[in-house]
Amino acid sequence: MKINKILVVDDEETISSYLGRKLTKLGYEVLVAGDGETAVDMAFSSLPDVVLLDVKLPRMNGYEVCRKIKANENTRFTTVIMLSAKTQGNEIQQGLDAGCDLYLTKPIGFPDILQHLKSFEK
Amino acid sequence: MKLLGKAFSTKSILSKLLVSFVVLSAVPLIVLAYLANRNLHETGVEALTNIEEMGQMNLSLIEQLRKKVVQDAVQALDAKSTEAIEVRTVDLANAIAAFLYERDNDARTLASISPSKNNYLNFFQCHYRTVIEPPSTTNDYSASQEPSFTVISSNPENGQSWRHQPQYDFKKKTIPIYQEITFLDLEGNEKIKITSQGASTELKNVSSRRNTYCQAEDYFQYLTSLTDNDIYVSKVIGEHVPGWLQISDGMVTVDPASAYAGKENLGGKKFEGIIRWVIPVLEGGKRVGYCALALDHQHIMQFTDHIVPTEERFTNVSDAGEGNYAWLWDSEDRCISHPRDFFIMGFDCNTGQEVPGWISETAYREYLSSGKTLEEFVRQLPSLRDFTQTKKGARAQTGIGRIALDCKTLDMAPQCQGWHDGTEDGGSGSFVILWSGLWKLTSYAAVPYFTGQYSKTKRGFGYVTFGANVDDFHKAANDTKLYIQKTLEEQKDSIEKVNLKTGSTIRKKENDNRNLLLAIGFFSIMAVVGASVFISYGITKPIKNLTAGALAMRRGELNQRINVTSSDEIGELAASFNEMASTIAEVDQMKSEFVTIASHEFRTPIHSMLLSVTGILGGYSGQINDEVKEDLETVKLEIDRLMRLVNDLLDLSRIEARKIELQIEPIAISDLVNQAVERISELAVINHHSVENRLETEKTVVFVDCDRMVQVLINLLGNAIKYNPYQGKIIIHGLIHEDTFSIVIVDNGYGIPPWAQQKVFDKFFQADIYMSQKVGGTGLGLSISKHIVEKHGGSIQCASPISQSDYPDLPLNLERKGTMFTVTIPISKKTGGLTEHEN
Repeated sequence: MKINKILVVDDEETISSYLGRKLTKLGYEVLVAGDGETAVDMAFSSLPDVVLLDVKLPRMNGYEVCRKIKANENTRFTTVIMLSAKTQGNEIQQGLDAGCDLYLTKPIGFPDILQHLKSFEK
Repeated sequence: MKLLGKAFSTKSILSKLLVSFVVLSAVPLIVLAYLANRNLHETGVEALTNIEEMGQMNLSLIEQLRKKVVQDAVQALDAKSTEAIEVRTVDLANAIAAFLYERDNDARTLASISPSKNNYLNFFQCHYRTVIEPPSTTNDYSASQEPSFTVISSNPENGQSWRHQPQYDFKKKTIPIYQEITFLDLEGNEKIKITSQGASTELKNVSSRRNTYCQAEDYFQYLTSLTDNDIYVSKVIGEHVPGWLQISDGMVTVDPASAYAGKENLGGKKFEGIIRWVIPVLEGGKRVGYCALALDHQHIMQFTDHIVPTEERFTNVSDAGEGNYAWLWDSEDRCISHPRDFFIMGFDCNTGQEVPGWISETAYREYLSSGKTLEEFVRQLPSLRDFTQTKKGARAQTGIGRIALDCKTLDMAPQCQGWHDGTEDGGSGSFVILWSGLWKLTSYAAVPYFTGQYSKTKRGFGYVTFGANVDDFHKAANDTKLYIQKTLEEQKDSIEKVNLKTGSTIRKKENDNRNLLLAIGFFSIMAVVGASVFISYGITKPIKNLTAGALAMRRGELNQRINVTSSDEIGELAASFNEMASTIAEVDQMKSEFVTIASHEFRTPIHSMLLSVTGILGGYSGQINDEVKEDLETVKLEIDRLMRLVNDLLDLSRIEARKIELQIEPIAISDLVNQAVERISELAVINHHSVENRLETEKTVVFVDCDRMVQVLINLLGNAIKYNPYQGKIIIHGLIHEDTFSIVIVDNGYGIPPWAQQKVFDKFFQADIYMSQKVGGTGLGLSISKHIVEKHGGSIQCASPISQSDYPDLPLNLERKGTMFTVTIPISKKTGGLTEHEN
């Protein structure tokens, strides 16, 4: 799988803008959403290859967003990487149940994120 | 057992309740039971006493009654017996009189017959009479039998009080009534003389005393003065037969040489005598002579010798020794019939003189000094002078066996005077006299025969007397007395039996009541115990619920609520507890929410920082020189440390809030330790430490949350590595106890000063700030470890410095004082069910 388009979903602008800037610089087309509903809309309309999805989001949480993406015919093969400050086992399990492909816990270094992304490109 | 022990320990509510309830109920009960029992006992005792008194009263009443009844019965029976004896006496006297009058008739008949040998012989042979033959030995003694019941009336209507006496079947013989009958002429010459041998040829002149019977008769001198209608009747004439009484040991016996004395001396010589009837014989109105009839004295004896004044009634031979017999006195008080023949007055046939009667020794002495012959003296003795039984019979008379009884002069026999006085008017009667030490009833009756000389007094022919031992003649009364006594004894016995029975019944009732009281007491106390257990259960159960609730809360089960069932103080307490529990749960919820939020909120900026720093370090923000890179590395280290701190804080707060659930599973010690060693091996290598794992194959199984226990071991091993100079040594070994396993981690690091050894488990405590900063510790690791171990029911200890003798191959010195952490976890008891372990 070749990754072109990445949807970064985080209500923390510092994080989404940083990731946006760095990933764009690395040649990816980056879309940014600050809440769950927007994220779902953008996922359906823009059909990104990867969604970097925070869990704690306004309007709709990450689990729900993930389920909607995975439930949609057009986006069900979209790679969803959850990136959350929720580190407890049950929280991780919830993510996996919602259908995410990878659950990463915050804090995580940027090179590590890249490494995970690249692992999906193989 | 433990619970029971607790329940009954002096402090438990149950025991307090029990004691107070039992005291409150049992004490009055015991007092009540004691009083009831005592009253009962006293009532019983009183009842017994009353019954006994009643019985005694009864008995004494019966005794009085007995005396009275016996006395009355005896008196009544005595009166009857006495009367019966009197009647028999009178009857006997009348029978004798009738017999004598028959002789008068015989005399008149004979006088009317022409005197001829043949006529007289015929007459003689027509006058026979039966007499009872005394037995030849005492073995043939017989008396009339007891009333027989073999003869009964054929008509049952006669059955009431039917009495029957068989005929007296004594041996008898028929003998002539008269010894002789004679015809005398007017001069006293016997003309005809008939005896049992027939007509006698030895005819004498009876005017001469020598030619009379025993030379003692002088009747002829009186014949001339007889009128034609008169009959002369003589006294009893016969030869006196001597006799001797022997007295030894109070018993009177008759000497065998004596005269016949009935049963007392069957072989003795009998008294033989006659009573002569003489009547003028007229021919053509002119007296031609006299006919005389000599009555054989035996026939008189027949009347008295076979009659017994007791129930026996009659006998073939009387027994004067028994004291029950009859005898006869003539009009001059001479004894003319007696069972003891030697008592009968008689004559000395050699002299024709009457043998003087027995007199007292006193009178005999008087005679001796009188200068008279005894015959003269006695003949002249005043009649019935100074009679008393204190006098004794004259020994001189007893010595020669001349002890005939003449009641006029028998001055040692006062009863003579009684008989004499009683028959003065021709009457009859009785009296009782103490004679020879025995009370004797004696009855008397005059014999109403008034012919010839016997018409001089109302006493007639004389008098019959009966002697009877009072005891014998009281027999009926005594029998009654004995019967009454026996009945009363039985009554007494039965009263005593009833008393005993009543007593035992009362005692049994008393016992039953005591048992009943005991049973009631026992059941009451049991009921009280039951009630107190119930009440205490009612109190302690909610308290136990509260305690259980509080304990559960302590374990972190904050949703614990007490089921409030009552509205009392305990109910209030439970309600307060529930309220408090709710508050605590709320606060706990808030706290855990805060921790969650805080941890999330901390992570976000850390995440941002980490993204940036790692991005820069990774060269994604352009080229940076080595100095910047080095500085940023420091920043990254601090971000990592901050992150660890956040993680530890979160962990600790969760543990403290009991938010973590242990995932208990069986695991071998070796697995736990090996995992931890594996995880720190890199760190150890970096620091050039050697780790000696002696538990690599320890197969003891513990029930623990594996991840958490590995976390603890990593923490301890990490500390052992971090707080240790280069090339340190770490030893892991184990100690097995009864139900625990201790994992010991010993290092030869810097050690922990004694003052800090307890504080190392406190939050944020760091003994050496510099070292801590250097190794990047958060100050929470040991605190978390302690919580985890304790949550497993185990303990964690710290010791420093290490003794070289304990660990000889551990290099120790001043810098390397060494530290030892011991984690003790239960093998299976509290964390699982496994009790066995392998080494």
